[in-house]
Amino acid sequence: MSDSVDTQPATSKFRAWIKRPYIRHVFLIWLAVTILIELFGPVQAHLMGAPASESMKAIEDTISLFTYAAAPVAALVISVVIYSIFGWRQAKSAGPSDESPAIRTNGPATTAWVLVSSILCVFLLIWGLGEMNSLAPKASSAKPIVIDAIGNQWAWNFKYPGSGNIESHELVMPKDQPIIFHVTSVDVIHSLWIVQLGVKIDANPFRVTLAHVTPTRIGRFSVRCAELCGLYHAHMQTDAVVLSPDDFNKWVANGGRS
Amino acid sequence: MSTTTRGPIPNGGGLMRRLNLGTAILTGVVFGFVGWYISGKLFGFGDGPDNGWGRDRVWIITMTMWAIGFMAGIGAFVGPIRWLMGRDQQFEDQMYLAGKNQGISRYFKFTTDHKVIGIQYLIITMLLFFVGGILAMLIRTDLISKNTEIFGPQTYNAVVGLHGIVMIIATIIMVTGPFGNFVVPIMIGARDMAFPRLNALSFWLIACVVPILLSAVFLGGIPTGWSAYEPLGSQAPPGMDSYLMTIIIFAISSGVAGANIITTVVKMRARGMTWNRTPIFVYGVVASVGLALPAFPTFMASQIISGVDRATGTVFYDTAAGGNDWLYTNLFWLMGHPEVYVILIPGLAAMMEYVPVFVRKPLFNFNAAVIGIAGIVGLSVMVWAHHMYMTGWAPNLNAPFMLTTELISVPTGMLFLVFVGTLWRGKVWARLPMLAIYAMLWNFIIGGITGIYLSDVPVDVALHGSMYVTAHFHYTLMGAGLVGAMGAVMYWFPKVTGRMFDEKIGGWGFWISQIGFNVTFMGMFAVGLAGQPRRVSAYSSLFAHGNFISTMGAYTIFIGMLIFLAAIIHSWTSGEKATANPWGAKTLEWQVPTPVPLENFEVLPIITSDPYGYGVPEKINEPQLEPVHAGDHR
Amino acid sequence: MKRVFTALVTVLLGAALVFGIASFLHVSNLQNAPVVAEVRGTAQTAQGVLPHAFIALSTYPDSLAGEHGPSGGSHPDWVSYGPSTDISLPAHSLVTMTITQYDSGEVLNNPYFAKVAGTVATPGDGTADGQMLLDGRPVSQVSPEHIGHTFTIHELSSPSQDNLFVNVPLPAVSDDAMPDSGYTKTPHVITFSFITGSAGKYVWNCEYPCGDGTYRKFGDVMGARSFMSGTVTVA
Repeated sequence: MSDSVDTQPATSKFRAWIKRPYIRHVFLIWLAVTILIELFGPVQAHLMGAPASESMKAIEDTISLFTYAAAPVAALVISVVIYSIFGWRQAKSAGPSDESPAIRTNGPATTAWVLVSSILCVFLLIWGLGEMNSLAPKASSAKPIVIDAIGNQWAWNFKYPGSGNIESHELVMPKDQPIIFHVTSVDVIHSLWIVQLGVKIDANPFRVTLAHVTPTRIGRFSVRCAELCGLYHAHMQTDAVVLSPDDFNKWVANGGRS
Repeated sequence: MSTTTRGPIPNGGGLMRRLNLGTAILTGVVFGFVGWYISGKLFGFGDGPDNGWGRDRVWIITMTMWAIGFMAGIGAFVGPIRWLMGRDQQFEDQMYLAGKNQGISRYFKFTTDHKVIGIQYLIITMLLFFVGGILAMLIRTDLISKNTEIFGPQTYNAVVGLHGIVMIIATIIMVTGPFGNFVVPIMIGARDMAFPRLNALSFWLIACVVPILLSAVFLGGIPTGWSAYEPLGSQAPPGMDSYLMTIIIFAISSGVAGANIITTVVKMRARGMTWNRTPIFVYGVVASVGLALPAFPTFMASQIISGVDRATGTVFYDTAAGGNDWLYTNLFWLMGHPEVYVILIPGLAAMMEYVPVFVRKPLFNFNAAVIGIAGIVGLSVMVWAHHMYMTGWAPNLNAPFMLTTELISVPTGMLFLVFVGTLWRGKVWARLPMLAIYAMLWNFIIGGITGIYLSDVPVDVALHGSMYVTAHFHYTLMGAGLVGAMGAVMYWFPKVTGRMFDEKIGGWGFWISQIGFNVTFMGMFAVGLAGQPRRVSAYSSLFAHGNFISTMGAYTIFIGMLIFLAAIIHSWTSGEKATANPWGAKTLEWQVPTPVPLENFEVLPIITSDPYGYGVPEKINEPQLEPVHAGDHR
Repeated sequence: MKRVFTALVTVLLGAALVFGIASFLHVSNLQNAPVVAEVRGTAQTAQGVLPHAFIALSTYPDSLAGEHGPSGGSHPDWVSYGPSTDISLPAHSLVTMTITQYDSGEVLNNPYFAKVAGTVATPGDGTADGQMLLDGRPVSQVSPEHIGHTFTIHELSSPSQDNLFVNVPLPAVSDDAMPDSGYTKTPHVITFSFITGSAGKYVWNCEYPCGDGTYRKFGDVMGARSFMSGTVTVA
């Protein structure tokens, strides 16, 4: 009675399965699509521009890494779609097929799929937590400069309580120096976004939120508001200027003028 | 819908015989005017504590009176009042209310027939998409170049907010409204919903809400984005009163609809339709409305509090005065995240329902589909604060919310497994609804993966509040959700309209819109990565190319969608007549005649199997079952 | 053929609708003619000899004198700038602006805007960089408790145009000097100068909150164009 039940060993079943023509075709398409997506990966970091802090570099690296990791997954779906269109499609005039196999489910496929997606999920999580940990401010580094960032409708202004109480419209910072932002708003919710430095934190009315960064590149970058705050939300922008520590000290000594 | 021989219109109905959309509008306008006049006299039109908060009180009272008048005028209160007076409806009343033999006029009345309500929902959904689409074109036109200013930031912000809320409402109802109503009762072998009058109520509440929503156009618009964050919203003009009244009434409508659909599916499935034999579309609809039931009340609560703050000077959302703006943010996102799955799941479920029909093999791993949907629903109520990573509200909660959000990728992946597995080795009958599935899968994989990027807290630092987010949610809600809805329209078109959908013109429209869609939102990913914030009326020259491309793509979407609309209109009015089951599908709605008789079935069916028994049984790898003979022992 | 025709008509009707609505919105949002700075001669500045342009604005406690005409438009009681909220300035020039301030006022939401920023010395009137001339006296800041309006130019962080940030506080006319009707005979007169850079489009708004009855008084008039906010076109 038991010979009607299949008793081939799993490995030879698997080898037989791989040999099927459509498996090979789908595999090749999958490979091609994966490679295409991988090649596209660096475009994203390129669009984000050269990072001006460790945080921004970590962000750009993560996006690239996630793209590399996601590529085979996306490619799997896309390759089956492509093969379905070109390999399993019937003639245009044909009606519904009477040849499709009545596959209700497939244990190994489901298990593999759920397992791989769970592993990827765990990987994402560990990576994310690790990143959050490494980007958190470390107690051992140099004493951070405190900059108050005040958002109001529709401009930012910055105060330097530890540097002679300078008030400035532009955000001026020294390179390689840890900075803590005390961010607040005097009216609605704004969001301080220092684009190339990878800083973003909401400015909440009558509350102080914190963000920190260590700029690693000298130059002129953008500060934009990232939370709709009314009429001129689009114009609530200014420059973030990273100077060498000497130039920054000169700026401070000059009362906040260059 | 033409029946050549119509019987007599039933007696019964009483007052309902005289009430229709016209009387509803009339009563609504009269009540609204009375409310406006009296409250204007009482409170004046000023604003602020010195002026008695008059302006907002006047508009909220006016809109409430409009709503009460409209619903009275359509006959929503007739049933409950008669019941209170001890006169419940008789059979003749039920037949009248079901629209028996009333021809086209039944679409303009408080008709309880779920098939009529389904079509009413379809029309109003298409109207909302049309309005939302026009607004989208206005937005993209204003952004065509760095220095274009067709109408300035004040109007721009108002258009953006209105576009958002109109589309959100349209996408919430786009599948459960038309097809949850028309198809699901037939699909489960029932004659109608559990509560037919509640069904009519949920539709007419939407009809009542559309003028309230559009009144924002005349009241200064909704310049806060559709999320209407506080305290920004409390600075905004009375268009916000339109917004909050819309949400409050809409939440009632969706709550009523949800209770109705769930009761219907739980209690009224035909004999033999066990949960294992229930079609996956039914699961999708139930999951969606079931998720909306706990979620939308928080939205409603947030808006009631906004209304009270605006109209009476309370300070629930004013931090300086002792309130808390984060209260709003939490209440909003407690709704806001489940809500996107409310939008997404029915479209996906519709496609899961009909992909077996076109590949002629069973839905792959039905259990995975159910578990996937259930997993998404369960997890979606635990992820809301991923929208709040950057608020500074609870930085210690960022990591747990990152965990729950990334976990959603697992059940979502199971839905991909179901699609991929069903496509696998299936010989494809390449009709347009089937081709739409390919478009959906392409869009959904991009939308899903970009969502994973956003769920990572450090990456969200760069991407939150930028155009990247806008592109992500358009890929999921529009690229997957709306495409699913368009697939549903094309698939059930023969059953609902009695005609075949013109796949030639419709195909042109569909693919032009898909090409335009990908161009538009890929451009937005690019400018978002480069640093363009959301909801801005002007932008740095860095983003000029990306925005121009997006605008060209948007115009392409518009052309494509209009062609698709033309195909719908043309097919509906003069398309080729459809047989009862042109697709050869196995679900129950295809086993009844077209047009579907009033009570759906002559005799209620008894179900003996699930509806996915397509395809040629495989000889390999499947154990052969042998019948058991009496006396055999193994 | 009929199907193609239906499709074509639908597309054309849709496009016409969008075009019509966009045109309507455009026309109803058109501002009045801008106030243009007049170039009179040149001036010596830290950036060399530049054309010297002059422009005058006023701030009023209502909308009867500005671009809304003598009837005051839809909100005659809203405070306004005049003669227009659209300002046109020449590029790479020294611009001297005089604002006559007729309105009363109270405290700012953000005291930062009580300080003068982004200005340079106006030749010949005794002001230095970062100062303004208030009723004949050079000052670099005023009390944030008694401000009528501010004139604040905002920029867009964009490589295609130079940054331009200017802020001058306009002190309030004291309440007892405000007449019951008409405008005070003793307004404050503020004169300041700044140097424009490359051509570009900027915006300006007043940072003193006069949207009474709204949250932080920054709604209503503050969020509507052509009263307390406008554009600066540098060309």
